[in-house]
Amino acid sequence: MAESLSARNIVKHYGGVVALSDGNLDVHAHEVVALVGANGSGKSTMSKVINGVVVLDQGQLLLDGNPIQFASPQAAKNVGISTVFQELSVVPQMTVAENIWLTREPLNQFGMVDRKAVNARTEELLALFEGTFKTDLNPDSSVTSLPPDEKQIIEILKAISFDPWLIILDEATASLDSRQVQRLFELVTKWKENGKAIVFVSHRMEEIFRIADKFSVLRNGRTVGAGNIKDINEKQLIKLMIEKESVLGFLRGEAKSDAKVEKEVSLQAENLTTESLRGVSFKIHKGELVGIGGLRGQGQRHLLHSLFGDVPFSGTVKLFNKEIHFKHPREAMKNGFALVPGDRAKEGLLYIRSILDNLLLPSWRRYGLPLNVNNAKKDATQTGSTLNLKMAGLEEPVSSLSGGNAQKVVIGKWLMRDPQVLLLDDPTKGVDVGTKAEFYALLNRLSDEGKTILFYSSDDEELVGLCDRVFVVYDGMIRTELAGETLTKENLIAASLGVAQHERATP
Amino acid sequence: MKRSRWDALTARQPALFALILLVLSAVINFIVQPNMFARETLNSNMRVFLPIILMAIGQAIVILGGGIDISVGGIVSIVNTVLATRVGLEGSPDEMWKYIFVSLLIGLLAGAINGFFIAYLRLQPIITTYATSFLYAGLALFILPNPGGGIPASIAALYRDSTPLNLPLAFYVIAVFLLIWLYTSSMRYGRFLFAVGGKAEAAYETAVPVTMVQFSTYVISGLMAAFSGIAITMLSGSGNGEIGGPMTLNSITAVVIGGNAMSGGVGGVAGPVMGAITLGIIQNIISFANIDTWWETLVKATIIVVALAAPGIISIFRRRRS
Amino acid sequence: MKRISISPPVAALILAIVLFLLSGLLPNGYGSDLEVAKAQATNILRLAVFLGVIAAGQTLVIISGSEGIDLSTGSVVTLTAILTYVIVNGADEKVLLALLVSLAVGALIGFLNGVGITYLKVSPFVMTLGMAGVVTGAIILINHGNVSGKVAPIMTRLIARPLSPSLQIPNAVIIWILFGILMWLLLERTSFGKNLFALGVNRVTARLSGVDVTGMNLATYALAGALSGFGGFLVVGNTGVVFINLGQPFLFPSIAAVAVGGTLLSGGKGSYWGTMAGAIVLTLITSLLTTMQMPDSVRRMVLGGTLLILISIYGRQRALRQ
Repeated sequence: MAESLSARNIVKHYGGVVALSDGNLDVHAHEVVALVGANGSGKSTMSKVINGVVVLDQGQLLLDGNPIQFASPQAAKNVGISTVFQELSVVPQMTVAENIWLTREPLNQFGMVDRKAVNARTEELLALFEGTFKTDLNPDSSVTSLPPDEKQIIEILKAISFDPWLIILDEATASLDSRQVQRLFELVTKWKENGKAIVFVSHRMEEIFRIADKFSVLRNGRTVGAGNIKDINEKQLIKLMIEKESVLGFLRGEAKSDAKVEKEVSLQAENLTTESLRGVSFKIHKGELVGIGGLRGQGQRHLLHSLFGDVPFSGTVKLFNKEIHFKHPREAMKNGFALVPGDRAKEGLLYIRSILDNLLLPSWRRYGLPLNVNNAKKDATQTGSTLNLKMAGLEEPVSSLSGGNAQKVVIGKWLMRDPQVLLLDDPTKGVDVGTKAEFYALLNRLSDEGKTILFYSSDDEELVGLCDRVFVVYDGMIRTELAGETLTKENLIAASLGVAQHERATP
Repeated sequence: MKRSRWDALTARQPALFALILLVLSAVINFIVQPNMFARETLNSNMRVFLPIILMAIGQAIVILGGGIDISVGGIVSIVNTVLATRVGLEGSPDEMWKYIFVSLLIGLLAGAINGFFIAYLRLQPIITTYATSFLYAGLALFILPNPGGGIPASIAALYRDSTPLNLPLAFYVIAVFLLIWLYTSSMRYGRFLFAVGGKAEAAYETAVPVTMVQFSTYVISGLMAAFSGIAITMLSGSGNGEIGGPMTLNSITAVVIGGNAMSGGVGGVAGPVMGAITLGIIQNIISFANIDTWWETLVKATIIVVALAAPGIISIFRRRRS
Repeated sequence: MKRISISPPVAALILAIVLFLLSGLLPNGYGSDLEVAKAQATNILRLAVFLGVIAAGQTLVIISGSEGIDLSTGSVVTLTAILTYVIVNGADEKVLLALLVSLAVGALIGFLNGVGITYLKVSPFVMTLGMAGVVTGAIILINHGNVSGKVAPIMTRLIARPLSPSLQIPNAVIIWILFGILMWLLLERTSFGKNLFALGVNRVTARLSGVDVTGMNLATYALAGALSGFGGFLVVGNTGVVFINLGQPFLFPSIAAVAVGGTLLSGGKGSYWGTMAGAIVLTLITSLLTTMQMPDSVRRMVLGGTLLILISIYGRQRALRQ
């Protein structure tokens, strides 16, 4: 069993994008190192370099002081490095047991897979998380039907099934509930005692301070700080993660104007049910900035997407007291709805197309036949300057933009249509701090103009500082509604974990 | 209750549906042709079906791995023209066996070429094997521009008349390949295959040798296409540069009927084998149904399209019900 | 390897010019005779028109992404050519009717393709391949051996002849240029075109931006079918005769032409100008081979090999390991 792994001055490019310019990490047996950083800081790339999935461009990896290179993920596995990923690396078509033991299936004397041994050892692994499953999880369950938290547990079991000495947990707790997180941390403590090393990649402060011994902070691809957890507090850690004085100052300083919220109910839902929503009801008023909170994957996405006509639902939805039921985003658009989706690369943008084409995509119809491209350019330029979009030109591909500016294009294509209801799914994810501030100002302005805004954020500070009200979604229902005095970070986090049992948001 | 059990069953055993279809079509065929199971007729049928069955086995494995092989027809044509020209009607049985060995090498090579472009250069399977299908078909025509040549009558007779233990030779051949598949699929390689076809990125991150696995599926497909070419040459006894062309679509249809997912990762080999037999039986039924010759091509082609569309139609029904 | 920043259509044109110059050096080539060279160039252009029009539909479905392709093009061309032949039967006044019927039949077949691909989730390759078989079956049914018909004089005048004796540009080329402008308008100056590219780049984004993905799919394949129908109308206007394999030789080159022209086979990027240049290149290659008196088998191998080389350069997908 190895004793230490170090990464020194790692540089990694993806095409033209620099993911890491100076990444460093030191991990030793018997300890948990928290790898901390904002979105886009290079955390994921760092863990991929260490476990051999990605080739480093420059820099060195040292195992017990000796330089080592990984030609493939298998090479890293061979020296006992294992990773639990964010994007699940399970094969949906195979069973739990097949996924866990892939490439390491116990064989019988004929070289065939030993089914009995596979089942027995899978049961052993499943027992580690016993009592935390919602479904009847057994080795032959098909993975595709499992909820996200159980898929994540399968990932974890897969990672530890070959008794590695270094375990990288890359945002592994994102889809787990509190019981499962507790059990995982119990296991982590045991692993530590047994001489394993753990890298805990996360941005959840509470968990970091609970489980980590050391920390290492990445910011914009560079390691800017490392040390013992007991020598630092949360505020200092956050300061290391972000460049400017945090936007938190901006948020807290804003005087919330209550007068802007009108009494008219603009958007209303009753018993809205989808595959992940179990009956959601709420009333939102014109000009209100309403947030949706809660851990990711509790149904928030479905809430937004069903209102937009992208996901089928049952129940009643009313817009200004007129019943609506959109079957396709087109219908939603025609009624003044807009959706900024959660994954801009996969859902919000056409990456190889020009900025112009992206901005105009929903709106070409308005420009005649044949399309009056000059008018389109004029309108696009105007929207661009309203959003302070930094680009080389409208004809440049959207891939040339930074994360924040790309997100502006996603919002811009909707602003060009002057929507009355704006739905946003984690709009500031992967956006730099300066652009975040611009977004907050924009959202405030839009709600001042009387638009109805409903957005999900995984950032509690944002919700507390920006919203008039927050619906906390847990397990497919609105558990709690926080507003005014009850809208605090503590209440938000508590409600997100489903700890406090409040009444459902009353209509 | 009943419906969800049915769904669960077909999800677990995709070949179940293929089995039902096979039995159904066999029954209909039996009605139209009562002597269907007589030794002569059975042997005659299986002889005709065998080339497609062999091709379907290879196609099934490629599709399981997440790819597809459009060039199989071309490989069959090459093998056929090589045998017909190199061995010829006057050739000796020894020469025949020698060139059978050469044919297998050709299949392996053709498959390796496909595998190289797809697995190592990471080109799209459909367009790559479409391109190589033209390459291979052209080569076959180059070797034998006009139908002609042949194989020794003794070999053709061997293929035609062999019925060990009163069962068609084809049964034994199929049984051998199924046994080989049974063993292979229980090895780690089998798990690799399903993983790569199911979700290649996940397989890669789990350190499955994705490239090797993908490469191997095309080599296997090429090899099975070569076996298929040998079988069809023994069946027809002569050479024809275009003989493999129509077989490609049939092999894909057989795999679809057999319950394998076109996207990969789901299914097996037994299902496609049954699918190939079913397809053959259906074509028998049409021949017996006394349809006007002019309509025959249209009817057969329509059945193929319906078979290809069947999984989609079924899943629409499933969704409507739930 | 440094990125060459010549746009693909221009690169294709340069390739065409190089090939043409090379052809002059061949034994049967024009040597240094300018008049003959001009005549040959004009002829190549004229021949390229038909491939170019037939490849227009192919361009659309390939741009639409999701492995879009239309393998039924060849048989649709044959079918509409036969229908035109029979309907016109030598009468000028029937020409318009024949054109409309060609467009309608082509659109119908394309629409059926679209239904299978969109609703029944059959992959475009397999669906259009199956449909090609059905259309061929229909052709056999109609053809019954021989059809009687004739092309109308006005068609020959409009398609096969030049504009005027002094200006030796064939009418067909002028039609093609107008067609090209219309295609450009369609792709770059209509919301259909913008939506088509969006579809090819990212279906999810397109849908979430209000594009009716289903409708676009159906419309694209129907339009592609109609354009193939138009191609069949033109082809019979040029040749004046029909036979069962009239359209088939255009199929593979239509795909190759699109690829040569720089339209990504994965979708989302491309232009019809590129396809036009590609059609010229492909026609040149074919005519070169004919001049060198190469048999059809060699032509096939060259085409297959060319496409293979093309996709090796342009079509490589993301590596597993980055």
